[in-house]
Amino acid sequence: MTPDEIATLIVALGEKLGATDVSTVIIEEKKQMLRFSNNSITVLQAWNTITPVIYLAMGPRRTGCVIEDPTLAAISSTVEALIKTMRLMKPGDVDSKLPRGPFTYHTIQGNYDARVSRSTEKLTDAVETSINSGLDAGAKRVSGVLAATEWKRTLMTSTGNAGKERGTLLELTVRAFLDAESSGQGVSCSTTFQDFNPRTAGTEAGQIAKMATKPIQGDEGVYQVVFGPSLMANLLDTAAMSASAYAVEIGMSYFADRVGQKVASDKFTLTDDQQFPGGPGAHAFDDEGYPTNPTSIVENGVLKTLLHSSYTAKKFNAELTGHGYYSGSSGIVPSPSNLVATAGDYSKEEMFREVTDGIYITNNWYTRFQNYHTGDFSTICRDGIFKISNGEITASLKDLRISDNMPRILQSINGISKERQWMKWWEVDIPILLSYFLVDKVRITRSTK
Amino acid sequence: MEDLANAAIRKALDLGADYVEARIQTDVENTYTMKNGVPDSFQIARMFGIGVRVLVDGALSFASTDRLTIQEAKQTAENAYNMAKSSSHLVKNPVKLSAEKTIVKEWETKATNPPENVSPEEKFDLLADIERALSPNEVRVELPSRYLTLSHDMQEKFYSNSEGTRIRGKVPRISLWFFLTGSKPSKGTLQRWMHVGESGGWEAVKEWDPPRLVSDEAKVLGRVLEEGVAPPKGEIDLVLGSEVVGIICHESCGHPQEADRILGREAAQAGESYLQPNNIGMRIGSDHVTVVDDPTLPKSFGHYLYDDEGVQARERVLIDKGVVASFLQNRETAAELGVASNGAARAVAYSREPMIRMANTYMKPGDFNSDELFEGMKSGVYIKTFMEWNIDDKRFNQRYVGLEAYLIQDGEMGKPVRNPTLELTTPTLYGSVDAVSKNLDFQAATCGKGDPQQGAPVWTGGPEIRVRHLRLGGGPQT
Repeated sequence: MTPDEIATLIVALGEKLGATDVSTVIIEEKKQMLRFSNNSITVLQAWNTITPVIYLAMGPRRTGCVIEDPTLAAISSTVEALIKTMRLMKPGDVDSKLPRGPFTYHTIQGNYDARVSRSTEKLTDAVETSINSGLDAGAKRVSGVLAATEWKRTLMTSTGNAGKERGTLLELTVRAFLDAESSGQGVSCSTTFQDFNPRTAGTEAGQIAKMATKPIQGDEGVYQVVFGPSLMANLLDTAAMSASAYAVEIGMSYFADRVGQKVASDKFTLTDDQQFPGGPGAHAFDDEGYPTNPTSIVENGVLKTLLHSSYTAKKFNAELTGHGYYSGSSGIVPSPSNLVATAGDYSKEEMFREVTDGIYITNNWYTRFQNYHTGDFSTICRDGIFKISNGEITASLKDLRISDNMPRILQSINGISKERQWMKWWEVDIPILLSYFLVDKVRITRSTK
Repeated sequence: MEDLANAAIRKALDLGADYVEARIQTDVENTYTMKNGVPDSFQIARMFGIGVRVLVDGALSFASTDRLTIQEAKQTAENAYNMAKSSSHLVKNPVKLSAEKTIVKEWETKATNPPENVSPEEKFDLLADIERALSPNEVRVELPSRYLTLSHDMQEKFYSNSEGTRIRGKVPRISLWFFLTGSKPSKGTLQRWMHVGESGGWEAVKEWDPPRLVSDEAKVLGRVLEEGVAPPKGEIDLVLGSEVVGIICHESCGHPQEADRILGREAAQAGESYLQPNNIGMRIGSDHVTVVDDPTLPKSFGHYLYDDEGVQARERVLIDKGVVASFLQNRETAAELGVASNGAARAVAYSREPMIRMANTYMKPGDFNSDELFEGMKSGVYIKTFMEWNIDDKRFNQRYVGLEAYLIQDGEMGKPVRNPTLELTTPTLYGSVDAVSKNLDFQAATCGKGDPQQGAPVWTGGPEIRVRHLRLGGGPQT
């Protein structure tokens, strides 16, 4: 069956069995991944899938599924099971309706490159380039991953919405090591080969690793900190997720009851711009068929809106924002997709000159919240950490952790660089275009023994 | 299914592959969610397809498809072969696989009461029963957010390789995950998530007694909010509960002893290890510390009898009386390190490569009664459960922030302590253990690793332990 035939079948079957609302997105994905470590390719992987994602409602009862088994038998039996269960469920709290179309969808510019899916050779060349660049910059070992994806989405709903879109994505993470204690990371993320730069990613990883040589134990305390784009991307992903109305409902948001209030520094503006040309997470429509628009989440420090699906919009008596995306076992919930943090007016060098006694943290991992409602969290510094004294890097540090509070960090943003880059890697799910950030009074901790 | 696997293996061998394996796997998960007292949704995730892994001139590749036809299976095998062949010139460390026994087996974990036989109404009724048990009058704390999920899944695999191994396996799993926000005026909020799970069926749910389990946790939130005091400063002794010991064993013993990390294969994502290949025999803790990983534990959430490279599962002793005893191995790392695989290769779906994973990692119980751990403690803290945790990517510096915790004064349990924070290194932690209780308890967890991410069901667990002469670290500013 073609994706159109699968979508038509799902909508017709759902309606025939008694669903009041049906939406489906058929996701076709061809993906290759090359993983490498110790300067050598370790494994190549490839996927070829057609995955229907389905939403069904019967008044205030909601169900859904994802089916990596695009056969008539699997689709029919799964839809029947969903309908059968829905008839036995007690009603939910809101009788939301899918948005009624037809809508006209924006065409996303610059998000497709036919060369991405064609050439394993081009990908192996990119891996070789990134490894050699890391080594040339001074590293001894280079590891990483390169993924190349071609995707298509075919949407159909029982409310008159239909759409198609396609895109490609190149994601490269390079991690370079000088020794067991000195490492650096570089990332290149792009929808086309034109903006894809494995050499720059490898060089950045190698340069940070080299600078990170002979680290000394850092001290706990409260510091002015320059957040590298990779670190800030990880933290701003949590901010965007906190703006999901569903996260607010389940207690996993530090933005509950804050719409219209000051939640960050005046300097900070965060938009989920799903129409951004060449945006790695740009889409023309969400999984409910609602057209996307740039959504200002935080504007000059003020929380402008939560992100909504049709369910949360009804529940919160708010406007749809085009963020209803399938999200695993929660079904369709509001989720950010293509974040853009507005650039500032500092050059990176000027930002460092602002720091008298502080720290530059290039990367992080393992962010965990002690309390999502208050935003208390910690995250571990990874790769190069550097002491800044009077605007200059004066030492390489190790074994530090940021143990702080997200609303306080957002309020304490004191500078943003002009230069920006797209960031998406293992610890950054939602792609984000962002800068270096200067943040005041960041609490740093370390092991007590 | 065998026809498809055979066709894929034959195709890759005909093209010139040195080794081929095919795994046809079905995973069907049903999830029931209740949010703030009302049914939220019912979701099904169904994944069914074939994954083919080949070795060509030292290059390893993996390809998968969700279209199960002979033609597609052959095409997938050809794709895997072509990828490996085209990249073999970039492979500087050729992959080899350890020699392992050829096995032909079928195994199955049976549910006494399969969840499929329990009506959806009964499952939502169970969540509603939990909700009733969470009424403010009952638990004496406001719970502005309550999120409850009940999931059951069935995993079926047919594994076959070019050496003649053929294994069919089947395991059902069931789990409950909840997330509560407790609130008291002028005291702020506290949050608790918890995950219980087993391989088995509805009979497990009955044993958990979910309404009591969840309401007990809610009552703790209320008590800590109402009575919680700041943690003591200076050097103290601590008793850590099973839940805390379980996450410690998982994070700072299981992960650093995965041989693929030690050899650098996960460097760009999940990281490496503070251990080196020649660290077997190195002392890392006191004599009281023995940590194992055992996939064969009956009913366990991480249960399996044969891994996804066709190797028989077994208990692996990771730390034996304080000494690093072995690493978790698959066939690739075993060949590189000159040992045999110990059956640690797992794949969570047809579309994922097998990689080294934990199953059920826990500390072996000791000789002490729980009460005896507290005897003689002049001043200390008992941390029973945790909320926030993390560890660096070498698995050396870690942090655990207690949720349910109490002051200990002259061996007696006192007031709750709010947010006691342990932030310390792996050798300090294991080296400080001076007593281990006879008790053993387990918690379910989903362990993340790999690219693309693979969330593997595991148990973490252990007895209560006593650790001496440690200092609590600082919590975040609020």
